[in-house]
Amino acid sequence: MSLTEDISNAVLNGKRKEVKKLVPQAIEEGIDPQVILDEGLIKPMGVIGDQFSAGEVFVPEMLVSARAMSTGTEILKPYLIDEGAEPAGKAVIGTVKGDMHDIGKNLVRMMIEGKGLEVEDLGVDVAPEQFVDYVKENPDCHLVCMSALLTTTMPEMANTVKAFEEAGMRDQVKIMIGGAPVTPAYAEEIGADSYTDDAGEAANVAAELAQQF
Amino acid sequence: MLTKKQNFLECIRGGNPDRIVNQWEAFGRVIANPVCDRSLDEEGRMVDEWGVWFQVAGQPGRMPLHDMEHRVIKDFDEWEDYLTTIPKGCWDNAAIWEPLQAQAEQIDRNEQFVMGTVFPGMFERLHDLGEITETLMAFYDSPDEIHEIMKIITEVELEQAEAICKYLKPDALLHHDDWGTAKSTFMKPEMFEEFFLEPYKQVYKYYKEHGVEVLIHHSDTYGATLVPYMIEMGVDVWQGCILRPNELNKLVDRYGGQISFMGGIDSDIVDKPDWTPESVKESVYDAMDYMGMDTRRNFYIPCLTQGLNVSTFPGVLDEVSKCISEYEQEHK
Repeated sequence: MSLTEDISNAVLNGKRKEVKKLVPQAIEEGIDPQVILDEGLIKPMGVIGDQFSAGEVFVPEMLVSARAMSTGTEILKPYLIDEGAEPAGKAVIGTVKGDMHDIGKNLVRMMIEGKGLEVEDLGVDVAPEQFVDYVKENPDCHLVCMSALLTTTMPEMANTVKAFEEAGMRDQVKIMIGGAPVTPAYAEEIGADSYTDDAGEAANVAAELAQQF
Repeated sequence: MLTKKQNFLECIRGGNPDRIVNQWEAFGRVIANPVCDRSLDEEGRMVDEWGVWFQVAGQPGRMPLHDMEHRVIKDFDEWEDYLTTIPKGCWDNAAIWEPLQAQAEQIDRNEQFVMGTVFPGMFERLHDLGEITETLMAFYDSPDEIHEIMKIITEVELEQAEAICKYLKPDALLHHDDWGTAKSTFMKPEMFEEFFLEPYKQVYKYYKEHGVEVLIHHSDTYGATLVPYMIEMGVDVWQGCILRPNELNKLVDRYGGQISFMGGIDSDIVDKPDWTPESVKESVYDAMDYMGMDTRRNFYIPCLTQGLNVSTFPGVLDEVSKCISEYEQEHK
């Protein structure tokens, strides 16, 4: 088994310490950092995402795998920068104003990072203007991801879409929404670009949308 | 005509209820925690008896604050350094139970169960203390430490249970602990068994041995794979069970007689700011049809999935009750 496969297995099994040991070893052995990233770290997260969507693994397994992947990414960062590698895109994520739920949002963030995108997490209780301000200050961010877990806070998603329209920035971003009470029909109603059902699907869609810019 | 209480017992015992049990009609509720100080600070926050900070104002329920300043357990491997506020030795105090006893006395025990209500549950307590993402990872990273913390949570739950049974003497107990999302349990069943089955068995056994006739567990989530554990714990009624993700009709067919199910009318769908009598009727009738309530009377109680006899938006709870009655009249 190759070292890259070992890294991939360590990510699949959520073994952060193994990843911490194996990634430097792979670099030392001359494996291209981009290959380590793509094959050793990003690919297994895709597998985990699909398994999660299929109900074969659960949140803890996904979390420890995402953390293992993140450990590897951090080690690789300086090498990737040296190579001039660019992230696959940039996204901003948050749970909408008035809503303090964060587990779903955290999972989506980790899974999108697992696709090689850079993600800024604004946390919970994020007002529409915070999303807009972030994109204003970071014009290379073209993906806005919002989560709501309450029927009472869902309207803040519509308010955020409206805020981007009013700021004249709607064409600059793709907007993804999700959360327990959210539906595809609601996404259409408020003019969001995408509704996704779970974190694995969200990551796949985010990667697709990021390629459009 | 049976009393509401008798009718409920007939339903869950597979007897002869003379009508559909309508939501919470058989229960008079008393929130069974006089130790928690629920007073709010200027920002609408409170601190519970474990030292957990919650945002209350502006939230439909209390939401724990988990930034590092407020989080109680900042590192599961060093939990003993952080978990310093443990509410033990404070429950058996007659004076603090007096207002709750007065509430219980207002309930006609012939007609209704006096239902002590306990929340959060043990899993929720754990992630209130340590933040949910960190907690879920700690099941892998720090299993021994989690077992130690669960031991303490269980001891406190048992102290609370002793006081509840001593002072309130409830006929029923509603215990709240969400074990998943709308799609899945938070963890694989084997992990749930490892960390939660025995603690819950201990606590629920105590209630059942001390006068609680009906033990209701709330989890408004997917949870079909956990039903065998609920049965083993001694749960009589799973309240909050959502309809289609759990294939509730199949669960009732499979497990009816060992456990009953109360829910199916999903609050996420029904209880909205723009609800109308028509939208409520559509959801209630959909659930009733799905459950085969034109003929079914046992082991299922149609109910909003919210974990108390309340709705987020005024009028929804009563409208649901009205629609259940109308459905029954129309299908006689």
